Amino acid sequence: MQQLTAIITGASEGLGKSFAIELARRNINLVLVALPGSGLPQLAAYIRKNFNIRVDELEMDLTDAENYHNIFNYLQLVGITAHMLINNAGLGNWSWFEDKNIIFYKKQIELNVITPVLLTRLFLEQAGSKTTSYILNVGSLGGLFVVPKKQVYGATKSFIRYFTKCLQLELSGSNVRISLLSPGGINTKPELLVMNNKLKGIARATILEAEDVARIAIDGMLRGKKEIIPGAVNRLLVLLNSMLPAFVKESIIRSRLKLILKR
Amino acid sequence: MIKILVTGATGFIGRELCLALAGKGYQVRALCRNTNHPYLIKHKNIVPVQGDILYPDSLKKAMQDCTQVYHTAALAKMWCRNPDAFYDTNVIGTRNVLSAATNAGVAKLVYTSTCGVWGPTLNFPLSEDEPRIVGFPIVYERTKYLAELEVQQFVNQGLNVVTVNPSRVFGEGPVTDSNTVSKMVSGYLRGKWRIIPGNGEQVANYAYLPDVVNGHIAAMEKGLKGNRYILGGEDISFNQFFSTVGTASGIKHRMLRVPQKAIKLYSHVEQFKTRLTGLPPFFLPEFADRLKFDQKYSSQKAAMQLGYRITPFGDAMQKTVDYLKQT
Repeated sequence: MQQLTAIITGASEGLGKSFAIELARRNINLVLVALPGSGLPQLAAYIRKNFNIRVDELEMDLTDAENYHNIFNYLQLVGITAHMLINNAGLGNWSWFEDKNIIFYKKQIELNVITPVLLTRLFLEQAGSKTTSYILNVGSLGGLFVVPKKQVYGATKSFIRYFTKCLQLELSGSNVRISLLSPGGINTKPELLVMNNKLKGIARATILEAEDVARIAIDGMLRGKKEIIPGAVNRLLVLLNSMLPAFVKESIIRSRLKLILKR
Repeated sequence: MIKILVTGATGFIGRELCLALAGKGYQVRALCRNTNHPYLIKHKNIVPVQGDILYPDSLKKAMQDCTQVYHTAALAKMWCRNPDAFYDTNVIGTRNVLSAATNAGVAKLVYTSTCGVWGPTLNFPLSEDEPRIVGFPIVYERTKYLAELEVQQFVNQGLNVVTVNPSRVFGEGPVTDSNTVSKMVSGYLRGKWRIIPGNGEQVANYAYLPDVVNGHIAAMEKGLKGNRYILGGEDISFNQFFSTVGTASGIKHRMLRVPQKAIKLYSHVEQFKTRLTGLPPFFLPEFADRLKFDQKYSSQKAAMQLGYRITPFGDAMQKTVDYLKQT
Protein backbone atom coordinates (compact mmCIF):
# COMPACT_ATOMS: atom_id res chain seq x y z
CA MET A 1 0.00 0.00 0.00
CA GLN A 2 1.08 3.54 -0.76
CA GLN A 3 2.51 5.56 2.13
CA LEU A 4 -0.16 8.05 3.21
CA THR A 5 0.39 11.49 4.73
CA ALA A 6 -2.06 13.28 7.03
CA ILE A 7 -2.25 16.99 7.83
CA ILE A 8 -3.46 17.68 11.38
CA THR A 9 -4.27 21.21 12.49
CA GLY A 10 -4.12 22.13 16.18
CA ALA A 11 -1.85 19.12 16.65
CA SER A 12 0.10 20.09 19.76
CA GLU A 13 -2.53 19.55 22.43
CA GLY A 14 -5.70 17.74 23.38
CA LEU A 15 -7.55 15.90 20.64
CA GLY A 16 -5.04 17.01 17.96
CA LYS A 17 -2.18 15.35 19.84
CA SER A 18 -4.26 12.17 20.19
CA PHE A 19 -4.91 12.20 16.42
CA ALA A 20 -1.16 12.48 15.83
CA ILE A 21 -0.35 9.48 18.06
CA GLU A 22 -3.23 7.42 16.65
CA LEU A 23 -2.18 7.99 13.02
CA ALA A 24 1.48 7.39 13.89
CA ARG A 25 0.45 4.00 15.33
CA ARG A 26 -1.17 3.26 11.97
CA ASN A 27 2.06 4.08 10.18
CA ILE A 28 0.77 7.23 8.49
CA ASN A 29 3.20 10.11 7.88
CA LEU A 30 2.31 13.36 9.59
CA VAL A 31 2.29 17.06 8.85
CA LEU A 32 1.56 18.70 12.19
CA VAL A 33 0.34 22.29 12.33
CA ALA A 34 0.05 24.29 15.56
CA LEU A 35 0.74 27.69 17.10
CA PRO A 36 4.36 28.62 17.90
CA GLY A 37 5.23 28.01 21.54
CA SER A 38 2.68 25.23 22.00
CA GLY A 39 5.22 22.40 22.30
CA LEU A 40 4.95 21.19 18.70
CA PRO A 41 8.69 20.52 18.08
CA GLN A 42 8.85 18.36 21.24
CA LEU A 43 5.81 16.35 20.16
CA ALA A 44 7.15 15.92 16.62
CA ALA A 45 10.54 14.78 17.93
CA TYR A 46 8.92 12.32 20.33
CA ILE A 47 6.81 10.76 17.57
CA ARG A 48 9.83 10.53 15.25
CA LYS A 49 11.81 8.77 17.96
CA ASN A 50 9.08 6.23 18.71
CA PHE A 51 7.64 5.49 15.27
CA ASN A 52 9.18 4.77 11.93
CA ILE A 53 7.35 7.54 10.05
CA ARG A 54 8.09 10.92 8.56
CA VAL A 55 6.89 13.87 10.65
CA ASP A 56 6.93 17.46 9.41
CA GLU A 57 5.99 20.29 11.73
CA LEU A 58 4.73 23.73 10.83
CA GLU A 59 4.44 26.29 13.62
CA MET A 60 2.00 28.94 12.46
CA ASP A 61 -1.12 30.91 13.31
CA LEU A 62 -3.98 29.63 11.15
CA THR A 63 -5.93 32.86 11.49
CA ASP A 64 -3.23 34.45 9.34
CA ALA A 65 -4.59 34.10 5.78
CA GLU A 66 -1.16 33.67 4.15
CA ASN A 67 -0.61 30.49 6.07
CA TYR A 68 -3.23 28.44 4.17
CA HIS A 69 -1.07 28.68 1.07
CA ASN A 70 2.12 28.35 3.10
CA ILE A 71 1.16 24.84 4.20
CA PHE A 72 0.63 23.54 0.68
CA ASN A 73 3.56 25.48 -0.78
CA TYR A 74 5.72 23.79 1.82
CA LEU A 75 4.35 20.35 0.95
CA GLN A 76 4.97 20.94 -2.75
CA LEU A 77 8.51 22.10 -1.98
CA VAL A 78 9.36 18.92 -0.07
CA GLY A 79 7.44 16.73 -2.54
CA ILE A 80 4.66 15.49 -0.29
CA THR A 81 1.08 14.92 -1.41
CA ALA A 82 -1.32 14.70 1.52
CA HIS A 83 -4.27 12.34 1.33
CA MET A 84 -5.73 13.02 4.75
CA LEU A 85 -6.79 16.30 6.30
CA ILE A 86 -7.88 16.51 9.93
CA ASN A 87 -9.50 19.90 10.47
CA ASN A 88 -9.10 19.88 14.23
CA ALA A 89 -7.91 23.36 15.24
CA GLY A 90 -10.65 25.32 16.96
CA LEU A 91 -11.38 27.79 19.69
CA GLY A 92 -14.07 27.11 22.28
CA ASN A 93 -15.83 29.30 24.80
CA TRP A 94 -18.31 28.98 27.65
CA SER A 95 -19.34 32.52 28.44
CA TRP A 96 -22.20 34.96 28.01
CA PHE A 97 -22.14 36.79 24.70
CA GLU A 98 -21.25 40.14 26.30
CA ASP A 99 -18.34 38.66 28.25
CA LYS A 100 -15.93 38.29 25.30
CA ASN A 101 -14.67 41.07 23.07
CA ILE A 102 -14.96 41.34 19.30
CA ILE A 103 -11.32 40.34 18.76
CA PHE A 104 -12.07 36.99 20.40
CA TYR A 105 -15.15 36.30 18.28
CA LYS A 106 -13.36 37.31 15.08
CA LYS A 107 -10.54 34.90 15.89
CA GLN A 108 -12.98 32.16 16.86
CA ILE A 109 -14.93 32.44 13.63
CA GLU A 110 -11.75 32.61 11.55
CA LEU A 111 -10.27 29.52 13.16
CA ASN A 112 -13.47 27.45 13.39
CA VAL A 113 -15.02 28.40 10.03
CA ILE A 114 -12.68 30.07 7.55
CA THR A 115 -9.66 27.86 8.26
CA PRO A 116 -11.32 24.45 7.67
CA VAL A 117 -13.16 25.68 4.55
CA LEU A 118 -10.09 27.12 2.89
CA LEU A 119 -7.82 24.24 3.89
CA THR A 120 -10.36 21.76 2.50
CA ARG A 121 -10.41 23.70 -0.78
CA LEU A 122 -6.62 23.74 -1.11
CA PHE A 123 -6.26 20.16 0.10
CA LEU A 124 -8.63 18.80 -2.57
CA GLU A 125 -6.77 20.74 -5.25
CA GLN A 126 -3.43 19.07 -4.45
CA ALA A 127 -4.77 15.61 -3.60
CA GLY A 128 -5.92 14.80 -7.12
CA SER A 129 -8.48 12.11 -7.89
CA LYS A 130 -6.35 8.99 -8.38
CA THR A 131 -5.90 8.04 -4.73
CA THR A 132 -8.68 7.99 -2.14
CA SER A 133 -8.53 11.10 0.04
CA TYR A 134 -9.97 11.52 3.50
CA ILE A 135 -11.17 14.63 5.28
CA LEU A 136 -12.21 14.65 8.92
CA ASN A 137 -13.95 17.78 10.12
CA VAL A 138 -14.15 18.14 13.87
CA GLY A 139 -17.62 19.41 14.69
CA SER A 140 -19.39 19.07 17.99
CA LEU A 141 -22.61 17.79 19.44
CA GLY A 142 -22.93 21.49 20.21
CA GLY A 143 -23.60 21.95 16.49
CA LEU A 144 -26.78 19.92 16.97
CA PHE A 145 -28.09 21.13 20.32
CA VAL A 146 -28.63 24.74 21.24
CA VAL A 147 -26.59 25.27 24.38
CA PRO A 148 -26.51 28.58 26.27
CA LYS A 149 -23.09 30.20 26.68
CA LYS A 150 -21.92 28.47 23.50
CA GLN A 151 -23.61 30.92 21.10
CA VAL A 152 -20.75 31.58 18.67
CA TYR A 153 -18.92 28.27 19.17
CA GLY A 154 -22.12 26.26 18.56
CA ALA A 155 -22.91 28.38 15.51
CA THR A 156 -19.46 27.73 13.99
CA LYS A 157 -19.95 24.00 14.57
CA SER A 158 -23.41 24.18 12.92
CA PHE A 159 -21.65 25.75 9.97
CA ILE A 160 -19.19 22.84 9.87
CA ARG A 161 -22.10 20.39 10.01
CA TYR A 162 -23.83 21.98 7.01
CA PHE A 163 -20.58 22.40 5.10
CA THR A 164 -19.55 18.77 5.63
CA LYS A 165 -23.00 17.30 4.84
CA CYS A 166 -23.22 19.37 1.68
CA LEU A 167 -19.74 18.42 0.49
CA GLN A 168 -20.64 14.77 1.10
CA LEU A 169 -23.46 15.20 -1.44
CA GLU A 170 -21.32 17.08 -3.94
CA LEU A 171 -18.48 14.56 -3.67
CA SER A 172 -20.54 11.37 -3.57
CA GLY A 173 -19.20 8.89 -6.10
CA SER A 174 -15.79 10.59 -6.11
CA ASN A 175 -12.59 9.39 -4.52
CA VAL A 176 -13.02 11.71 -1.52
CA ARG A 177 -14.37 10.52 1.83
CA ILE A 178 -15.44 13.32 4.09
CA SER A 179 -16.53 12.65 7.66
CA LEU A 180 -18.03 14.78 10.38
CA LEU A 181 -16.86 14.07 13.93
CA SER A 182 -19.46 15.11 16.50
CA PRO A 183 -18.00 14.47 19.93
CA GLY A 184 -19.57 15.43 23.24
CA GLY A 185 -17.22 16.71 25.91
CA ILE A 186 -13.59 15.60 25.83
CA ASN A 187 -11.21 15.60 28.77
CA THR A 188 -8.23 17.49 27.40
CA LYS A 189 -6.15 20.05 29.29
CA PRO A 190 -6.93 19.58 32.97
CA GLU A 191 -6.39 23.26 33.78
CA LEU A 192 -9.23 24.16 31.41
CA LEU A 193 -11.56 21.40 32.45
CA VAL A 194 -11.95 21.58 36.18
CA MET A 195 -15.65 21.88 35.31
CA ASN A 196 -15.79 18.41 33.78
CA ASN A 197 -14.92 16.91 37.15
CA LYS A 198 -17.92 18.50 38.75
CA LEU A 199 -20.39 16.92 36.31
CA LYS A 200 -22.47 14.00 37.48
CA GLY A 201 -24.61 11.23 36.01
CA ILE A 202 -25.59 11.49 32.31
CA ALA A 203 -23.63 14.69 31.79
CA ARG A 204 -20.51 12.92 33.07
CA ALA A 205 -21.10 9.95 30.76
CA THR A 206 -21.01 12.23 27.68
CA ILE A 207 -17.37 13.10 28.45
CA LEU A 208 -14.73 10.90 26.82
CA GLU A 209 -10.95 10.69 26.84
CA ALA A 210 -9.20 12.28 23.84
CA GLU A 211 -7.33 9.09 22.90
CA ASP A 212 -10.60 7.13 22.70
CA VAL A 213 -12.28 9.81 20.57
CA ALA A 214 -9.26 9.87 18.23
CA ARG A 215 -9.26 6.09 17.78
CA ILE A 216 -13.01 5.94 17.08
CA ALA A 217 -12.78 8.93 14.73
CA ILE A 218 -9.93 7.53 12.63
CA ASP A 219 -11.66 4.14 12.40
CA GLY A 220 -14.82 5.90 11.20
CA MET A 221 -12.99 8.15 8.76
CA LEU A 222 -11.16 5.23 7.11
CA ARG A 223 -14.48 3.40 6.70
CA GLY A 224 -15.93 6.52 5.07
CA LYS A 225 -18.54 7.07 7.80
CA LYS A 226 -20.52 10.25 7.20
CA GLU A 227 -20.98 11.19 10.83
CA ILE A 228 -19.02 9.83 13.74
CA ILE A 229 -20.53 10.21 17.22
CA PRO A 230 -18.22 8.63 19.82
CA GLY A 231 -19.84 7.20 22.94
CA ALA A 232 -23.10 5.26 23.38
CA VAL A 233 -24.67 7.92 25.64
CA ASN A 234 -23.99 10.60 23.04
CA ARG A 235 -25.56 8.48 20.28
CA LEU A 236 -28.61 7.99 22.49
CA LEU A 237 -28.88 11.75 23.00
CA VAL A 238 -28.82 12.31 19.24
CA LEU A 239 -31.49 9.66 18.76
CA LEU A 240 -33.67 11.24 21.45
CA ASN A 241 -33.12 14.62 19.86
CA SER A 242 -34.55 13.37 16.57
CA MET A 243 -37.59 11.85 18.30
CA LEU A 244 -38.59 14.44 20.87
CA PRO A 245 -40.99 17.19 19.75
CA ALA A 246 -39.55 20.68 19.55
CA PHE A 247 -41.51 22.07 22.52
CA VAL A 248 -40.17 19.35 24.85
CA LYS A 249 -36.57 20.09 23.83
CA GLU A 250 -37.16 23.77 24.30
CA SER A 251 -38.46 23.27 27.83
CA ILE A 252 -35.44 21.08 28.70
CA ILE A 253 -33.05 23.75 27.48
CA ARG A 254 -34.99 26.47 29.34
CA SER A 255 -34.86 24.54 32.59
CA ARG A 256 -31.10 24.08 32.09
CA LEU A 257 -30.76 27.78 31.41
CA LYS A 258 -32.57 28.55 34.68
CA LEU A 259 -30.02 26.37 36.47
CA ILE A 260 -27.17 28.27 34.85
CA LEU A 261 -28.76 31.65 35.59
CA LYS A 262 -29.13 30.73 39.25
CA ARG A 263 -25.38 30.31 39.68
CA MET B 1 23.10 24.98 61.87
CA ILE B 2 20.95 24.67 58.75
CA LYS B 3 17.29 24.09 59.52
CA ILE B 4 15.28 22.09 57.03
CA LEU B 5 11.53 21.56 56.87
CA VAL B 6 10.22 18.28 55.44
CA THR B 7 6.47 18.05 54.71
CA GLY B 8 4.95 14.59 54.54
CA ALA B 9 7.42 13.40 57.18
CA THR B 10 5.43 10.24 57.88
CA GLY B 11 5.19 9.32 54.18
CA PHE B 12 7.11 6.55 52.41
CA ILE B 13 9.73 8.94 50.97
CA GLY B 14 9.45 11.72 53.59
CA ARG B 15 10.31 9.60 56.63
CA GLU B 16 13.49 8.17 55.07
CA LEU B 17 14.42 11.61 53.80
CA CYS B 18 14.15 12.99 57.36
CA LEU B 19 16.44 10.22 58.61
CA ALA B 20 19.03 10.76 55.86
CA LEU B 21 19.12 14.53 56.47
CA ALA B 22 19.32 14.03 60.23
CA GLY B 23 22.20 11.61 59.70
CA LYS B 24 24.05 14.31 57.79
CA GLY B 25 23.81 16.57 60.85
CA TYR B 26 21.06 18.90 59.65
CA GLN B 27 18.34 19.98 62.02
CA VAL B 28 15.18 18.54 60.53
CA ARG B 29 11.70 19.80 61.25
CA ALA B 30 9.29 17.01 60.43
CA LEU B 31 5.89 18.44 59.55
CA CYS B 32 3.06 16.06 60.41
CA ARG B 33 -0.60 16.34 61.31
CA ASN B 34 -0.09 13.94 64.19
CA THR B 35 3.27 14.20 65.97
CA ASN B 36 2.70 10.80 67.59
CA HIS B 37 2.35 9.08 64.20
CA PRO B 38 3.91 5.58 64.37
CA TYR B 39 5.74 6.05 61.03
CA LEU B 40 7.60 9.15 62.25
CA ILE B 41 11.26 8.28 62.77
CA LYS B 42 12.80 9.21 66.14
CA HIS B 43 16.25 10.85 65.99
CA LYS B 44 17.97 13.54 68.02
CA ASN B 45 18.12 15.82 64.96
CA ILE B 46 14.47 15.33 63.98
CA VAL B 47 12.01 17.68 65.66
CA PRO B 48 8.36 16.81 64.99
CA VAL B 49 6.29 19.92 64.19
CA GLN B 50 2.53 19.72 64.31
CA GLY B 51 0.97 21.23 61.18
CA ASP B 52 -1.05 20.72 58.03
CA ILE B 53 -0.31 21.96 54.52
CA LEU B 54 -3.97 22.97 54.28
CA TYR B 55 -3.47 25.45 57.15
CA PRO B 56 -1.15 28.28 56.03
CA ASP B 57 -0.67 29.56 59.58
CA SER B 58 0.83 26.26 60.67
CA LEU B 59 3.21 26.38 57.69
CA LYS B 60 4.30 29.89 58.57
CA LYS B 61 5.26 28.75 62.06
CA ALA B 62 6.95 25.57 60.85
CA MET B 63 9.05 27.38 58.25
CA GLN B 64 10.44 30.08 60.54
CA ASP B 65 14.27 30.23 60.16
CA CYS B 66 14.30 27.32 57.68
CA THR B 67 16.63 27.77 54.72
CA GLN B 68 15.53 24.64 52.86
CA VAL B 69 12.18 22.93 52.37
CA TYR B 70 11.41 19.48 50.97
CA HIS B 71 7.73 19.26 50.02
CA THR B 72 6.97 15.54 49.83
CA ALA B 73 3.44 15.64 51.29
CA ALA B 74 0.72 14.45 48.90
CA LEU B 75 -2.38 12.33 48.63
CA ALA B 76 -1.07 9.39 46.59
CA LYS B 77 -3.78 6.80 47.09
CA MET B 78 -5.74 5.33 44.19
CA TRP B 79 -9.08 6.37 45.64
CA CYS B 80 -10.44 8.63 48.34
CA ARG B 81 -14.00 8.94 49.65
CA ASN B 82 -13.91 12.72 49.32
CA PRO B 83 -13.25 13.38 45.59
CA ASP B 84 -11.99 16.92 46.28
CA ALA B 85 -9.30 15.69 48.67
CA PHE B 86 -6.81 15.12 45.83
CA TYR B 87 -7.16 18.67 44.56
CA ASP B 88 -7.09 20.16 48.05
CA THR B 89 -3.99 18.30 49.24
CA ASN B 90 -1.97 18.13 46.05
CA VAL B 91 -2.75 21.49 44.41
CA ILE B 92 -3.92 23.88 47.14
CA GLY B 93 -1.55 22.28 49.69
CA THR B 94 1.39 22.76 47.32
CA ARG B 95 0.37 26.36 46.65
CA ASN B 96 0.26 26.97 50.42
CA VAL B 97 3.74 25.50 50.89
CA LEU B 98 5.20 27.54 48.01
CA SER B 99 3.59 30.71 49.26
CA ALA B 100 4.78 30.14 52.84
CA ALA B 101 8.31 29.45 51.52
CA THR B 102 8.24 32.74 49.59
CA ASN B 103 7.14 34.68 52.67
CA ALA B 104 9.64 32.95 54.95
CA GLY B 105 12.52 33.72 52.58
CA VAL B 106 13.40 30.04 52.08
CA ALA B 107 16.52 29.75 49.90
CA LYS B 108 15.55 26.57 48.04
CA LEU B 109 12.67 24.12 47.86
CA VAL B 110 12.59 20.60 46.40
CA TYR B 111 9.14 19.52 45.27
CA THR B 112 8.34 15.82 45.03
CA SER B 113 6.23 15.26 41.93
CA THR B 114 5.84 11.95 40.08
CA CYS B 115 6.51 10.28 36.72
CA GLY B 116 2.72 10.05 36.65
CA VAL B 117 2.65 13.57 35.18
CA TRP B 118 3.81 11.83 31.98
CA GLY B 119 2.06 8.52 32.56
CA PRO B 120 2.14 6.01 29.69
CA THR B 121 5.06 5.91 27.28
CA LEU B 122 5.67 4.53 23.78
CA ASN B 123 8.59 2.38 22.65
CA PHE B 124 11.50 4.20 24.30
CA PRO B 125 12.16 5.42 27.85
CA LEU B 126 10.80 8.92 28.26
CA SER B 127 12.87 11.91 29.35
CA GLU B 128 11.88 15.18 31.01
CA ASP B 129 11.13 17.39 28.00
CA GLU B 130 9.02 14.81 26.17
CA PRO B 131 5.22 15.12 26.03
CA ARG B 132 2.41 13.23 27.70
CA ILE B 133 0.47 11.18 25.14
CA VAL B 134 -2.87 10.59 26.89
CA GLY B 135 -5.31 12.62 28.99
CA PHE B 136 -5.54 12.74 32.77
CA PRO B 137 -8.28 10.31 33.85
CA ILE B 138 -6.32 9.37 36.99
CA VAL B 139 -7.02 12.04 39.58
CA TYR B 140 -3.65 11.66 41.34
CA GLU B 141 -1.77 12.32 38.09
CA ARG B 142 -4.06 15.20 37.15
CA THR B 143 -3.62 16.98 40.48
CA LYS B 144 0.15 16.42 40.53
CA TYR B 145 0.30 17.95 37.03
CA LEU B 146 -1.73 20.94 38.21
CA ALA B 147 0.63 21.24 41.19
CA GLU B 148 3.60 21.41 38.80
CA LEU B 149 1.91 24.36 37.09
CA GLU B 150 1.72 26.05 40.49
CA VAL B 151 5.44 25.39 40.98
CA GLN B 152 6.20 26.92 37.59
CA GLN B 153 4.33 30.09 38.54
CA PHE B 154 6.33 30.50 41.76
CA VAL B 155 9.57 29.83 39.87
CA ASN B 156 8.63 32.58 37.41
CA GLN B 157 8.14 34.91 40.38
CA GLY B 158 11.66 34.11 41.60
CA LEU B 159 11.33 31.23 44.09
CA ASN B 160 14.12 28.66 43.73
CA VAL B 161 12.28 25.35 43.28
CA VAL B 162 13.61 22.09 41.87
CA THR B 163 11.11 19.35 41.00
CA VAL B 164 11.93 15.65 41.29
CA ASN B 165 9.78 13.01 39.58
CA PRO B 166 10.18 9.56 41.16
CA SER B 167 8.71 6.58 39.28
CA ARG B 168 7.18 3.63 41.19
CA VAL B 169 9.06 3.74 44.48
CA PHE B 170 9.73 0.60 46.51
CA GLY B 171 11.99 -0.41 49.35
CA GLU B 172 12.16 -0.83 53.09
CA GLY B 173 9.22 1.03 54.56
CA PRO B 174 5.65 0.70 55.79
CA VAL B 175 3.14 -0.97 53.46
CA THR B 176 0.32 1.52 52.89
CA ASP B 177 -2.41 2.22 50.34
CA SER B 178 -0.14 4.78 48.70
CA ASN B 179 2.52 2.24 47.83
CA THR B 180 1.36 -0.23 45.19
CA VAL B 181 4.73 -1.95 44.77
CA SER B 182 5.08 -2.81 48.46
CA LYS B 183 1.50 -4.07 48.44
CA MET B 184 2.28 -6.34 45.47
CA VAL B 185 5.47 -7.71 47.03
CA SER B 186 4.05 -8.28 50.51
CA GLY B 187 0.93 -9.80 48.94
CA TYR B 188 3.13 -12.19 46.95
CA LEU B 189 5.12 -13.18 50.04
CA ARG B 190 1.91 -13.99 51.94
CA GLY B 191 0.55 -15.92 48.95
CA LYS B 192 -2.26 -13.44 48.44
CA TRP B 193 -1.09 -11.82 45.20
CA ARG B 194 -1.26 -14.45 42.48
CA ILE B 195 -2.09 -12.54 39.29
CA ILE B 196 -0.08 -11.06 36.46
CA PRO B 197 -1.93 -8.61 34.18
CA GLY B 198 -2.08 -9.48 30.48
CA ASN B 199 0.83 -11.53 29.17
CA GLY B 200 3.13 -10.00 31.79
CA GLU B 201 5.28 -8.24 29.19
CA GLN B 202 4.09 -4.76 30.18
CA VAL B 203 7.05 -2.72 31.42
CA ALA B 204 7.16 -0.16 34.22
CA ASN B 205 9.95 1.71 35.95
CA TYR B 206 10.78 0.88 39.59
CA ALA B 207 12.84 3.22 41.78
CA TYR B 208 14.56 2.07 44.97
CA LEU B 209 13.73 4.23 48.00
CA PRO B 210 17.35 4.99 49.14
CA ASP B 211 18.20 6.07 45.56
CA VAL B 212 15.18 8.37 45.50
CA VAL B 213 16.09 9.85 48.90
CA ASN B 214 19.66 10.52 47.73
CA GLY B 215 18.20 12.03 44.54
CA HIS B 216 16.16 14.47 46.63
CA ILE B 217 19.22 15.62 48.58
CA ALA B 218 21.29 15.91 45.39
CA ALA B 219 18.48 17.97 43.82
CA MET B 220 18.69 20.37 46.78
CA GLU B 221 22.47 20.60 46.42
CA LYS B 222 22.87 20.67 42.64
CA GLY B 223 19.46 20.92 40.97
CA LEU B 224 18.89 23.86 38.65
CA LYS B 225 16.08 26.28 39.47
CA GLY B 226 12.84 25.44 37.69
CA ASN B 227 14.17 22.11 36.35
CA ARG B 228 12.58 18.68 36.66
CA TYR B 229 14.52 15.48 37.27
CA ILE B 230 13.21 11.97 36.79
CA LEU B 231 14.35 9.78 39.71
CA GLY B 232 13.73 6.27 38.42
CA GLY B 233 15.23 2.83 38.39
CA GLU B 234 15.25 -0.04 35.94
CA ASP B 235 12.50 -0.69 33.38
CA ILE B 236 11.09 -4.08 34.37
CA SER B 237 8.22 -6.20 33.01
CA PHE B 238 5.64 -7.84 35.31
CA ASN B 239 7.16 -11.24 34.44
CA GLN B 240 10.68 -10.07 35.40
CA PHE B 241 9.28 -8.38 38.49
CA PHE B 242 7.66 -11.50 39.93
CA SER B 243 10.47 -13.84 38.93
CA THR B 244 12.88 -11.50 40.78
CA VAL B 245 10.64 -11.45 43.85
CA GLY B 246 10.44 -15.26 43.60
CA THR B 247 14.21 -15.65 43.48
CA ALA B 248 14.79 -13.13 46.27
CA SER B 249 12.27 -14.75 48.61
CA GLY B 250 12.73 -18.39 47.64
CA ILE B 251 8.95 -18.57 47.35
CA LYS B 252 7.63 -19.71 43.98
CA HIS B 253 3.96 -19.27 43.23
CA ARG B 254 2.15 -20.29 40.07
CA MET B 255 0.86 -16.95 38.79
CA LEU B 256 -2.44 -16.53 36.97
CA ARG B 257 -2.29 -14.38 33.84
CA VAL B 258 -5.47 -12.31 33.56
CA PRO B 259 -6.28 -10.55 30.24
CA GLN B 260 -6.49 -6.75 30.38
CA LYS B 261 -10.11 -6.86 29.14
CA ALA B 262 -11.15 -9.08 32.07
CA ILE B 263 -9.42 -6.72 34.49
CA LYS B 264 -11.23 -3.78 32.89
CA LEU B 265 -14.58 -5.54 33.24
CA TYR B 266 -13.85 -6.36 36.86
CA SER B 267 -12.80 -2.75 37.51
CA HIS B 268 -16.24 -1.57 36.35
CA VAL B 269 -17.84 -3.96 38.84
CA GLU B 270 -15.57 -2.54 41.55
CA GLN B 271 -16.46 1.02 40.56
CA PHE B 272 -20.16 0.16 40.72
CA LYS B 273 -19.68 -1.44 44.13
CA THR B 274 -17.93 1.70 45.37
CA ARG B 275 -20.71 3.91 44.03
CA LEU B 276 -23.38 1.85 45.80
CA THR B 277 -21.63 1.14 49.08
CA GLY B 278 -18.94 3.79 49.44
CA LEU B 279 -16.41 1.05 50.20
CA PRO B 280 -12.93 1.54 48.74
CA PRO B 281 -12.53 -0.12 45.33
CA PHE B 282 -9.78 -2.66 44.80
CA PHE B 283 -9.20 -1.38 41.28
CA LEU B 284 -10.61 1.31 38.95
CA PRO B 285 -11.20 1.43 35.16
CA GLU B 286 -8.72 4.26 34.57
CA PHE B 287 -6.01 2.05 36.09
CA ALA B 288 -7.09 -0.95 34.01
CA ASP B 289 -6.63 1.18 30.86
CA ARG B 290 -3.09 1.90 31.95
CA LEU B 291 -2.26 -1.82 31.67
CA LYS B 292 -2.27 -1.38 27.89
CA PHE B 293 0.81 0.84 28.06
CA ASP B 294 4.42 0.66 29.18
CA GLN B 295 5.77 3.25 31.61
CA LYS B 296 9.48 3.48 30.83
CA TYR B 297 11.48 6.45 32.07
CA SER B 298 15.07 7.57 31.69
CA SER B 299 16.94 8.97 34.72
CA GLN B 300 19.81 10.14 32.53
CA LYS B 301 19.38 13.85 33.25
CA ALA B 302 19.49 13.22 37.02
CA ALA B 303 22.51 10.95 36.55
CA MET B 304 24.37 13.62 34.57
CA GLN B 305 23.43 16.70 36.58
CA LEU B 306 22.83 15.35 40.08
CA GLY B 307 25.06 12.29 40.13
CA TYR B 308 21.93 10.16 40.64
CA ARG B 309 22.70 6.43 40.93
CA ILE B 310 20.46 3.43 40.42
CA THR B 311 20.81 0.32 42.61
CA PRO B 312 20.41 -2.81 40.44
CA PHE B 313 16.80 -4.03 40.64
CA GLY B 314 17.76 -7.52 41.86
CA ASP B 315 19.81 -6.18 44.81
CA ALA B 316 17.16 -3.63 45.72
CA MET B 317 14.39 -6.22 45.61
CA GLN B 318 16.44 -8.64 47.73
CA LYS B 319 16.70 -6.02 50.49
CA THR B 320 13.01 -5.16 50.19
CA VAL B 321 11.94 -8.81 50.39
CA ASP B 322 14.21 -9.45 53.40
CA TYR B 323 12.69 -6.43 55.13
CA LEU B 324 9.07 -7.35 54.37
CA LYS B 325 9.65 -10.96 55.50
CA GLN B 326 10.72 -9.70 58.94
CA THR B 327 7.73 -7.46 59.48
